[in-house]
Order: sequence, then structure tokens, then C-alpha cells
Amino acid sequence: MPDFSPIDFAVPFFVVLVLIEMIWARRRRPESYEPRDTLTSLAFGLGSSVAGLVTGGAVLALSLWLYQFRIFDFGDEWWSVWWAWPLCFVLDDLGYYVFHRCAHRVRWFWASHVNHHSSQHYNLSTALRQSWTGFFALSFIFRIPLTLVGFHPAMILFVGAFNLIYQFWIHTEAIGRMPRWFEAVMNTPSHHRVHHATNPLYLDRNYAGTFIVWDRLFGTFQAETESERIRYGIVRQLGTFNLLWSVFHEWVGIAQDVWRAPWRHKLPYLWRPPGWTHDGSRETSDMIRERWLEHGRAASDDMEKTVPNDNPIAGQEKPA
Amino acid sequence: MGAAAQFVASLAAILVLAWIAHRMGLGRDVRIRDADHAKGLADEVICGFAADDAAVDDAGRAALVRDRNGRTVLIKVHGAQFSGRLLGAGSTASVREDHGRTVLEIDTGERLFGRVTLDIDRPDNWVQCINPAKAGHHA
Repeated sequence: MPDFSPIDFAVPFFVVLVLIEMIWARRRRPESYEPRDTLTSLAFGLGSSVAGLVTGGAVLALSLWLYQFRIFDFGDEWWSVWWAWPLCFVLDDLGYYVFHRCAHRVRWFWASHVNHHSSQHYNLSTALRQSWTGFFALSFIFRIPLTLVGFHPAMILFVGAFNLIYQFWIHTEAIGRMPRWFEAVMNTPSHHRVHHATNPLYLDRNYAGTFIVWDRLFGTFQAETESERIRYGIVRQLGTFNLLWSVFHEWVGIAQDVWRAPWRHKLPYLWRPPGWTHDGSRETSDMIRERWLEHGRAASDDMEKTVPNDNPIAGQEKPA
Repeated sequence: MGAAAQFVASLAAILVLAWIAHRMGLGRDVRIRDADHAKGLADEVICGFAADDAAVDDAGRAALVRDRNGRTVLIKVHGAQFSGRLLGAGSTASVREDHGRTVLEIDTGERLFGRVTLDIDRPDNWVQCINPAKAGHHA
């Protein structure tokens, strides 16, 4: 069993790639970076590493305890079962998809995951904008099923680290589209730009970690379109670079909502989608998308009504 | 390397990266160009916001956009992007003198979003829209 953390080895490459992307940005798109935003994102990454060091031991201890209840046993030399590694990677990626979808659809998990989305920029430093409160949000529970199936916790951590490393390079506007076969199977910068967008068409789409096939399978895939200029960030942009507010704002929001809500509406503020309110005063992403579609329909209806008046030929018959 | 040393090295690295981004002149000096631009930005804050009227700060650093239902959206420049808020019950507006100019100051009620100052024509009209109970109040 290799005794090293892949992420520790990847960090120097991350730094070099951020520098290369900055050089690209200076020449081609200076607006893709903003120094204060970059500083906030990198501070997120540092804080997240510290949080991981503090809480990682507890997660590993829990996983090792649960491992004794495993369904399948790969034996004492589990690391030598070569096919278990790719299988574990693929299943862990499926688990990541489930986690990621919940992280966008359940406000409790969103309160932690929103950190990754709160930048209005999309560059490699955004990839390092990781949550400080993942442990508190119980995000680790999504990896428990793999432990119970029989994959050793160390193997799960190892493949999970590679999954995280893979996701680094897709946080860029410097790469347009990859070859068609690659876009069909793998998560790419194009697919993940959609995921970070706040445009109604793109909200809550493309949850994939490494393999985009999960989104295609479960109906959450949305291709990037040329006609839609992407706006990054969150529906209600923070409007500040304050690090601590950026980290904890959604937790504060949950606490305020739960405090103010009538008793029977308190708990739904934890498990309902972000934006849900008991009095309808805010909007979920589904509501925003529905209103956007309604506007689109209304606009096309108006077009239909005006065409016969403006166009004598079209006026002879109903538009197709 | 010990954890503390690793932390200090990482902190130094992120400060250096942010400094390099600053020295390279990354980011951009964005401005709200005109009323149409402001209306488009309001639609990004509230999807489908049917803007009726807009006032853009002289320097283009902020704008107010109103719809037919009397709702008002405040837009401000935030770094190299824009950020906005639908002004609600917790928002207040006041007019004050600033270097011989009468400017409008908006407090969204969110401390970290910050107060936004706009140098616009007829600021009193917007005060009445945003906080009718305090119309005409000069801070």
C-alpha cells in the first residue's frame, strides 16, 4: 500500500498551472482573474487543508471501525487486488455524483458546498476554493457505502484524492472543448463551466466529478451553448471578499431562517433546496428556471401574435 | 516538514500568487455603461426583472433599477464583476452632501454588502421609492 497523499504531490503542479493560467489571462482575458478573489479562493484552499488535518483522523477512524462490517472481503492484501482500484475509482465517482447532487439540492449540504461556488470568476484558483465545514456538514457519509461494500478506507481516500486532482484542471476558461469522444465520457472544462453558471438554463446541472456519464444517465446533463454568456457564482452573489463571511454566510442564513420560522417550518430549512422558504419569499433554482422558461414562452407567443400583422405571407397560416 | 511550517509556507505561497495576480494587472476596471446596461444587470440579479426606469451613478460604479411594480434593484461594481440586491424592508436610502454634490446613499441592511453611494440626478425621487416613510430625509 503506497503511504503518501497524492494531493501533497499535486500541490506544486497546481501552483505552476495557476501561474501559467495567469500568464494566459494577462494576454487573452485579464478579466478572468481578480487579485482579491484569487486571494480569497486560495485562503479557502488553505483553510480547507487545515480543517482536513483536524477532522481527517476522525473520519478515518470511523471508516476503519465501519470496515469490520463489510459485505465483501478483498483479503488482508486488499491492495494487491488490481481490479479493485479502478472499480473503487468508478464507484467512488458515482458516490461523488450523489454527494454533489445532494450538496446542491439539500440546504444543509449546500451551506458547506456553496463555498466552492461563491466566486464570480472561473479559473484554476476557483478549484482550490474548498469548504472548511465539510466535516460539520457530514459530507463524509457519502463515502460510507463503499466502506461497507468492502473497499478499504485507505483505498477510498486514495482514489478520492485522484478524483479531486482530476477536477482541478477543469476549472478554466482557457480550454474550449476537448475532442468529442472525451467530452462524451469525461468531465471537462466546458461541462464544468455549465455547473458553475448562474444562468437559469444551467442551474443545478452537470454534477459529475470525473465521468460526465452519470449526468447523462440520470438526466442532469446540460451542454454548454454558444448563445449563452456564462455568469459565474451563486444566484445571490456575495458582494464582498470577506473571507469569514464567504465561509459561513449560508450557515448564518440557515440559523436565521430556522430562528425566525414558525415551529412546523423550522426543519425544512435544513433539508429543502437552497432558496426554499415557507412563505415563498425566495426562489429555488427550479422556480427560477421555470420563470425563465415562462418568459421564453411568453416572448415566443408575442412573436407569434405580431408576425401575422407584420408579415402578410406568414399571416396566411399559423406559424409552425 | 512540520504542519506549522507547511502552513506558513502555504500562506506565503498564496500571498505571493495573489501579489503576482495584482502585479500582472489582472482584473478589469468595470463600469455600468448606461441605463440599458443597468437594466440588463438587474435581470441577472432577478431573472425576468421587467425594468422600467434606471439611474446610473456618474462614475458608473452603481445603479438603481425599478420595475413597474415598484421593486428596486441596486447594482454595484464588485471587483471585476457586478453584484446586486433587490431592496427590501431592511433597506434605507438617504441623501447627503459630498464635496458639493448631493449624493444618494443606500444601506441594503447587509453590513458586508456595504453602503453604496450614487451620484445621480433627482436622488430624492429614489429615496421616496426605497423608503417612502422617510421621503425627503437628509442625513
